[in-house]
Amino acid sequence: MIIAVIALVAVFQTYVTPDMLSRFFGHGRALDIFDGTFIGAISSGNGAIGYVVADGLKQQGVSSYALVAFILAWTTLSFTHLPAEASVFGVKFTAYRNILTFLSTLFIAYLSVTTLRILF
Amino acid sequence: MKKFKFKGLKFLFFVIALLILLAVFDFENIAKIMDKVANMLYRLIPIFILVIVITALINYFLKPKKIMKYFGKDSGKKGILYALLGGIISHGPMYAWYPMLDDMRKHGLKFGLIAIFMYARAVKIPLLPFMIGLFGLPFTIIANIYILIFAVLQGKVIDLLISEKKR
Repeated sequence: MIIAVIALVAVFQTYVTPDMLSRFFGHGRALDIFDGTFIGAISSGNGAIGYVVADGLKQQGVSSYALVAFILAWTTLSFTHLPAEASVFGVKFTAYRNILTFLSTLFIAYLSVTTLRILF
Repeated sequence: MKKFKFKGLKFLFFVIALLILLAVFDFENIAKIMDKVANMLYRLIPIFILVIVITALINYFLKPKKIMKYFGKDSGKKGILYALLGGIISHGPMYAWYPMLDDMRKHGLKFGLIAIFMYARAVKIPLLPFMIGLFGLPFTIIANIYILIFAVLQGKVIDLLISEKKR
C-alpha cells in the first residue's frame, strides 16, 4: 500500500509541476489553510499515507500553513465517514463535531505556524 | 492463528498498471518517476521502521482499550485526561472505535468526552517521526499542544450544545 502511494506521489510530482500547484495554493495564508483543510477532509486513509502525500506537496513548494491544515484534516476529518458516524452517534453530534473539527483545524494551522515564527 | 490479509492489493495493481502505461507511452518520464520513488523510499524507510517499533511498544505496554474503559467511568478532569490519553494512543481507523464508543455512550459516557477522544487522535505517537521530519521538532511540539487544547475545547462546546436533556 505504502509503496503504491509513494509511486503515485512520484507520478503526481512528475506531472503536476510546482507552477501548477502554485495556482491552487499560494493565494495567501487564509486560502492556503482553507484549501489544505478541504483537500485533507475529502481525502482519507492511513495517517502515514497522509504524511507521504504532505511530504510530496512540501517538495513542490506548498506552504507550511496548507501542509499543517492538510495533515490535521486528513487525520481528524473524513467526509466519507460522515454517514457512519451519524448513524452511530446521531446527526446532531456528527454535525457539531465535524464543524468544530473543521474550525479547529483552521485555527491550529494558523496558530502553530504563527507561534513558531514568533518563538524562533 | 490470524490469517494475514494483504491490504490495498487492488490499489497496488492499479498503480503498477499506471506505471506500465506510462513506460509505454511516456518512457522519458518513467525514469524520473522511478528516481523519485527510490529517493522517497530512501528517506522514508527508516521512519517507517521507527513507526512500526513505536506502535508495537504502545500496544505492548499501554493497551489502548483498557485506558478507554477508564475514561467511561469518570466524567470529571480525570475523564478528560483519559479521553485525551485514549485518543493519543488509539490507532486504526476511527470507525473501528465506533461500536465501543457507542456502547460506552449508552452506559453514560458524555458526548464531550467522545469528541475529545476523536480529536486527540490527531496526535499520533507512532507518526511523530514523520511530523518531525516534515515540520521539525519545535513545530511538532507546538502543533500537538494546540491539538490537545482544541480537543478539550471541542469537548466543552459539544457538552454545552448537547446537554443531557437534549439527547
